[in-house]
Amino acid sequence: MVGLLLASAIGTSALAADKRPPLPTYMQAYTPTTVDERGIWMEADEDERRLRESRSVIRDTALNAYVRGVLCRTVGDDRCKSVRIYIDEIPAFNATMSPNGTLTVWSGLLLRVRNEAELGSILGHEFGHFELRHSLMDFKNRRGGSDLMAWASILVRNSGDIRYNTIGGFYAFDRAQEREADMMGFQYLTRSRYPSSASADVWDHLMGEADATAIGRKGRAQHKYVAGFFASHPTNLARATYLRAASIEAADVKPAVVDTHQAAMAKWLPVFLNDQIKLNDFGGSEYLLANLAEGSGWTTPLLCARGDLYRERGNPRDLVSAAQFYQEAIGKGDAPPEAYRGLGLALLRSQQVAEGQAALATYLRLKPAATDAALIATLIS
Amino acid sequence: MSKKLALLAAVATLACAAPVAAGNKLIPAGQRIAVAKSAMTVQPGAEWNKLSERPGRNAETWTQDGDELNDLSFYGGIESGRPLFREVDKKNKPLPKVSATMLITDIPVLLENSYRIARDASSMAIDTIAPIQFAGNKGVRFTYTFSKQNETLQRRGEARGAVIGGKLYLVTYEAPSLYYYDRSVAAARVVADSVRF
Repeated sequence: MVGLLLASAIGTSALAADKRPPLPTYMQAYTPTTVDERGIWMEADEDERRLRESRSVIRDTALNAYVRGVLCRTVGDDRCKSVRIYIDEIPAFNATMSPNGTLTVWSGLLLRVRNEAELGSILGHEFGHFELRHSLMDFKNRRGGSDLMAWASILVRNSGDIRYNTIGGFYAFDRAQEREADMMGFQYLTRSRYPSSASADVWDHLMGEADATAIGRKGRAQHKYVAGFFASHPTNLARATYLRAASIEAADVKPAVVDTHQAAMAKWLPVFLNDQIKLNDFGGSEYLLANLAEGSGWTTPLLCARGDLYRERGNPRDLVSAAQFYQEAIGKGDAPPEAYRGLGLALLRSQQVAEGQAALATYLRLKPAATDAALIATLIS
Repeated sequence: MSKKLALLAAVATLACAAPVAAGNKLIPAGQRIAVAKSAMTVQPGAEWNKLSERPGRNAETWTQDGDELNDLSFYGGIESGRPLFREVDKKNKPLPKVSATMLITDIPVLLENSYRIARDASSMAIDTIAPIQFAGNKGVRFTYTFSKQNETLQRRGEARGAVIGGKLYLVTYEAPSLYYYDRSVAAARVVADSVRF
């Protein structure tokens, strides 16, 4: 199978004048062949059954169709069809793809990417893991390594060095796979309608957010180029660097596409923002909001979320800022009743009782059946 | 040889006995007892087990079948600037802190955010909120549901609490929605109803 793939790969590259490395040959309805691969698929099938029943999976048809659309436009229509996509409501940046073609996208990823191209670069990376059958290779590598360590412990006196090197080798192997998948994802992106520079943008923004989180927690912002001994992925800085270099080399100039990311996310943005705000990460969330506002301007959901963020940190100055953000949101005319709730609570906490109570009264008038209506009413009387 | 075996057996017995020696304590029914190292007292209507492991410094947990199956926790006067319970990863995932200026509406938010961070409970939701009298103070009673990340088991909870003198007092009861919640909710409510200072 690998031989066949290799032969076809060489064949196509020799034929085409294209300098880009060829994509692996695609095979429809691939079924696992060896005992190892069948085992891995069986486990992945089991995990997928569990995932399908999970309460945190978002079943909204429109959002799922959007993510599938981006995947199809990135890796091609023939490849994307067999993939099952699950959007999991977890407020962190991640996506995974199992050997059997289950793609899990965390909601935190959808919140962080700013356009279709950035989402496509991550989905392409995950699809690269799947197409290159990385889980199988990794399993074989680890089994080989642990066999070696077991024999070394019996046959070699003081085999500590061998074990140390083998374990280091596991992680180095993982990092090499991640890099390979990064480049695979990049290849899909260069062949798609999306600008390939998006793949490096994602990592730039992630580093920016990590810095903001660290500074917000009075830590030190630092990025290393070289990954640690136990790191499973290359560092964000390394990824941003080699992907940027690749996109400069590719120099693809493509016509601008109509980006549907913001429209597709409109319904879910307040939900995902709420999940993010509740993580007690002021610096990171503030960076994220500013990053989103760069693309769309300070829209009502962004302003309300910023109000919540400041109100929950709750320093006296934060409460003043929070009230301003809510008022700006209300000024836009399409604010939800919760903006009045936030405004009222922020004002109450900064001792502006009359104004606060007035805002809360407006909230109750707009949303009399709110879950917390009775409790809010006690703050007014 | 038999001596060695006897020694092994003794060691094994000791190892097995370790959980018993960990200091979990039976709480008898019908006696008023101070909880969570605070002035808060309660009077249970049924027997409970107090776990030796505390969620935090001013907190304690009671259970009937095990803390994953029914967990009645007391938070007795958490001061301003302290998290609700012990930090799980202070550097990377710090918990939100109690504030003396907290409004009554901030109590459910504090619990929700702490659970979301410490237990990866991204599907946490506050279902109902109502004002109550908590040991004679203006308090809040709320119910919630959550499941931990990568778990399909849904948990249900009910809490009541108040900020008294700038300190947070809270009693929570939670259990899997399936079977266990209903099984001991009545006993938990008896305890929560009996809170006094």
